[in-house]
Amino acid sequence: MTCEEARGYFVDVWRGDMDETAERAFQTHLHSCETCRREVESLRSVWEGLGAVPRPEPDAGLRTDFYSSLREWQRRDSERKRPLWWVRHPAVQGIAAAVVLAAGIGIGRLTLGHDEGKLADLQREVNDMRQMVALSLLQQQSASDRLKGVSWTYRVEQSDIEVQDALLHTLKTDPNENVRLAAVDALRKFSRSPETRAGLVQALETQRSPIVQVAIIDELVDLGDKSSIRTMNGLLQEPELNPSVRKRVQWAVGQLQ
Amino acid sequence: MRRVCQGDLGGLAALFERYHRPLYQYFVHLSGNRDLSQDLVQDVFFRILKYRDTFQPDASFTAWMYQIARNTHTDSLRKRRFEVIPGGADAKEIEMPSHDEAPEDRIGRKQEVKLLRKALDRLPPEKREVLILSRYQNLKYEEIAEILDCEVNTVKVRVYRAVQALSQIYFQMANEKAG
Repeated sequence: MTCEEARGYFVDVWRGDMDETAERAFQTHLHSCETCRREVESLRSVWEGLGAVPRPEPDAGLRTDFYSSLREWQRRDSERKRPLWWVRHPAVQGIAAAVVLAAGIGIGRLTLGHDEGKLADLQREVNDMRQMVALSLLQQQSASDRLKGVSWTYRVEQSDIEVQDALLHTLKTDPNENVRLAAVDALRKFSRSPETRAGLVQALETQRSPIVQVAIIDELVDLGDKSSIRTMNGLLQEPELNPSVRKRVQWAVGQLQ
Repeated sequence: MRRVCQGDLGGLAALFERYHRPLYQYFVHLSGNRDLSQDLVQDVFFRILKYRDTFQPDASFTAWMYQIARNTHTDSLRKRRFEVIPGGADAKEIEMPSHDEAPEDRIGRKQEVKLLRKALDRLPPEKREVLILSRYQNLKYEEIAEILDCEVNTVKVRVYRAVQALSQIYFQMANEKAG
C-alpha cells in the first residue's frame, strides 16, 4: 500500500468503517511509514475533537410552527382533492342524481304555477341529503372516509344541530388524530353555538394529542372564549403536559385575559 | 415517506420527528444562525411535501432530503445576498456539555473545543459541509456521494482534505493564542 492509498483509508479508520483485509494492509503500511502514522494520529485527535463540539438544539417553537403549518397544508390538500373524489364517490353520484331529479320536479312544479314554498322545500331536501352523507361518512371504519365526512359538514347549514353534535362526538372519540384535527377546523362553522364552545373546552380537557390540543387552543383564542381560561389553567398544573402545548396555553391565557 | 407520497400528509409528522433535529444542526453549523436555521428546517419540510412526486421509492430518503436541504440553504443565501459569518453571536450561545472531569481539565477541554469550533467556522463552506455531513449527520459515504453528486472515493478524499485543512487552522490558532 502506498502513502496515497493509505490516506484514502484515514476516514474509514476514524469512523471505524474498515473491512479486515483493508485494515491488515493499512496496519502493515503504518508499521513501515512513520509519516502516515503521525498524520493519521494527529488528524484523529481533530476528528474526535469534532465529536465534542456541542450540538445546538432547536427551541419548542419549531415544533409548534411545523404542526401549525402541517394543519394548514392538510386543509388545503383536502380542499384541493375534494372535487376529484366528489365525482367518484358512489354516495355523491346517487345524491347528484337525486338532486337533479328533485330539481327537475321542482322546476316543473314551479313552471306549473305552484308557490315559492316548494323551492324552499327543495333546498331543505338538498340540505338533508348533504347531512345524511356527512353523518354516514363520519361513521365509516376508514379514517379517510371519516375525513371526507368532516369535509361534507362544510356543506350543511350552520344551524344543523345533528351535524354539530356528530362533529363534537368525532372530536372527543375518533381514534384518528387527523380526523379529530379536521373536526376542530370544521367546528369553526358552528362557533356561534354555546354547545360548540362548551364541547371544545370539554375536548381540551380530555385530549392527549399535542397537535389537537394546540388546534383547539388556537380556535378558542380566535373565538375569544374566556370561559376556557379555567380549563387552560388546569392544564398548566399538569406536570406531564407537552412543553409546546404548555407554551401555547400560556400564550392563549395571555390573549384571553 | 411512502405515506406522504400516497397523499397521507400526516406521515410528514413522523418524518419531522425523526429528522428535524439533525437538519437543524446541519443548518446551524452551515449558517451559524439559529433563527434562520429554524426557518430553513420548516422550508425543507414544505419542499418535501411540494416535491414528493419526484421522490423515487427505491432511493435513499435521507440523501434526497439533504439534497433539498442544500438547495434550501443555497436559495436562502441567494435571497439574503450575503453570507452570514458562522461563529457569530448565535454560535456563542451554544452551551458546552458537562464532563466528569477535574475542573482544570474541563476548562482546558472547553477551550480546546471552543477553538475547534472557531476553526470549523473558518473552513471554506464546501469543506465545512462535507465534514458536517460525515461527522455530525452520520450519513453513509454512498449517501454523501449522492448528496454532493460525486463518487464515493471522492467523498473520502474530500473528508480527509477537510480534516487536514481544519487541523492546520486549529493548530495555527492554538499557536497564535499561546504566542
